[in-house]
Amino acid sequence: MNDVVSVALFTIGMASVATLVMLPAGIAMAWVLARHSFPGRVVLETLVSLPLVLPPVATGLILIAIVGRRGPVGALLEWVGIEVMFTRLGVVLAMSVMGLPLLVRAARAGFEQVDQRQEQIAATLGARPVHVFFTVSLPLARRGVIAGALLGFSRALGEFGATIMVAGALPSTRTIAVAIYTYTETGQQQAAAGMLAVAAAIACASLVLSNRLGASQTC
Amino acid sequence: MLTSFTFDFCLGEGEFVLEIHEEIEARVVAVFGVSGAGKTSVLESLAGLRTPRRGRIRIGGRTLFDTDADVDLPPYARRVGYVPQDLALFPHLNVRRNILYGAGAKPVFALTQVLRLLELDGLLERQVSRLSGGERQRVALARALMASPSVLLLDEPLAALDTGLRARILPYLKRIRDELTIPMVYVSHAKEEVRAVADWVLVLDRGRVVRSAAEV
Amino acid sequence: MLRRLSPVLLGLVLACSSDGPGNVASPNAFIRVSAAISVSEPLQVLARGFEQETGTSVELNLAGSSTLAAQLLAGAHVDLFLSADTRQMDRVVADGLIPSSAPINLLSNRLVVVVPSAGFLPSGRFESPAVLTDPLFRRIAIGDPAGVPAGVYARAYLKSISLWGALSERMVPTRSVRAALAIVEVGEVDAGIVYRTDARTTDGVQIVFDVAAEDGPAIVYSAAVLSGARDPDTAEHFLSFLQRPASGAVFDEAGFVLLSP
Repeated sequence: MNDVVSVALFTIGMASVATLVMLPAGIAMAWVLARHSFPGRVVLETLVSLPLVLPPVATGLILIAIVGRRGPVGALLEWVGIEVMFTRLGVVLAMSVMGLPLLVRAARAGFEQVDQRQEQIAATLGARPVHVFFTVSLPLARRGVIAGALLGFSRALGEFGATIMVAGALPSTRTIAVAIYTYTETGQQQAAAGMLAVAAAIACASLVLSNRLGASQTC
Repeated sequence: MLTSFTFDFCLGEGEFVLEIHEEIEARVVAVFGVSGAGKTSVLESLAGLRTPRRGRIRIGGRTLFDTDADVDLPPYARRVGYVPQDLALFPHLNVRRNILYGAGAKPVFALTQVLRLLELDGLLERQVSRLSGGERQRVALARALMASPSVLLLDEPLAALDTGLRARILPYLKRIRDELTIPMVYVSHAKEEVRAVADWVLVLDRGRVVRSAAEV
Repeated sequence: MLRRLSPVLLGLVLACSSDGPGNVASPNAFIRVSAAISVSEPLQVLARGFEQETGTSVELNLAGSSTLAAQLLAGAHVDLFLSADTRQMDRVVADGLIPSSAPINLLSNRLVVVVPSAGFLPSGRFESPAVLTDPLFRRIAIGDPAGVPAGVYARAYLKSISLWGALSERMVPTRSVRAALAIVEVGEVDAGIVYRTDARTTDGVQIVFDVAAEDGPAIVYSAAVLSGARDPDTAEHFLSFLQRPASGAVFDEAGFVLLSP
């Protein structure tokens, strides 16, 4: 029982960190895609959608090719003493990458619904573009952004294929999904069932929370 | 106090082209014409929200736009107080925050003065959605004024109001003109308004100036 | 706002990158073992035994052999690799991460044919796998021959006795051999071909045919210490530990066949 609770708390913690990590990049990408056309835009759109379209294991393989010790980024990080594979950092990375596309999609929809008129007026009132973004665009898009963050969080919670590839199935990096896999594959049915129940409970709680948040937006 | 206006530009292509070549000295320039004549495009060009293909725009000695000199000030640098027809009040901010949005540390006009002028005391904590039509109009004016503009650009400020309200808001516009001595470019399709507020009229028809004269 | 957040984020990121093994007997000394998940039960027992004996903790990374190999090829820090599939071991050796002479053939496994215990099918043993060609067996579960070692072996075996052609359309490939076992257990399929070690974990299936070692494909679990291991000596020590008679008994209990001298 202890194990179940600690794995659950660990997973929630990691997913929360992953959500925080994916927010700045996700919001920026959503904004750029919603407002600007530029050469290479299609490339950005494709890259952001890849983790949605590829099997998670494939995304995991791509990730370890980049951040593994033998990869370009991984070699650099190792030089500075930072390891990614088999660490919590790896868990956060895998979760962030898998949740990002969902965040970008929802946030982008949020930004697209913002009346550009408001942004224009803000500019005429003397606000520079960055200030307009934080004081007008982002607040007006907050429903989409929050929905995106919740989606990203949920995805991170349940993430398995990329996580197990990047962070392994170690006791120190075991998420709920990995634990269920391990228990099932090693015949520990009861433990698997217990973990499954916890996963379902967390999913319910997220849903309730997101409904509450959605409801409080209406004036 | 007269302000000099240089409107010398060409906007748009193909089906709709707006072309103005005017040098004016006035307090309030009215842009008059039926809908579709290009009146809003004039204001948008002055505000920097639309970019003419070529030309010059100068107001009160400041060059806002000049293709020859490669000048194109972004909207946030033009110091124009633009009040569009739909007002575009920020729905997520209350009245106070709307009005003070562009105020900065040292606004030219004191908040108390502007609030008194437009009779907005007591509305500061209201949500924008709970304002009447007339109140919204005045809040939009106050917001533009508190951004320390060197010119006000008003797009049909009274068009959305009923006759009674119109009669009530018009004096506010006059007060702004007289007490704050701020120049205005005022778009309207109503002759009486133009006569009441402006001292110069540009009449537009399908993107061209058909009359430019002092208003008696 | 972003400026205030970024040191927090950086702190979080750095905090995430430092951690050690979960169950720590001696926090400083540990070896990391990537092992095929099909040996996890006996291996977990043996790892605890090793920890108690030496005070060094053994961190087990249990997953499918192809995932483990992919991690090693990307440069993951692992001391010992135990693969259920010699092809995966070969991949790692070919990449220079393990000397070609190093892998030891540790264990073998046997294929068995199972049916649901609670099924309506006649219980008892099959004289031969050809019984599967009976129309009663509409669906047969095996690990996906495209990637799961057990499935690869199952297909190789059936081909060797010329049954693959007759049965291939009835095959239900699963993501892992345990998944195949699970669907036999719940009766979703009429039979399955799994490892003997898997079949013995549950009463929900019944073994109806044992593939004799000499008839079946060579299922070999090989193990080797990585060249770049952080603690090669302890890793070698653990590998020797796994080959002791007492360890052999643990593997045997689980249904594995011992191979080492």
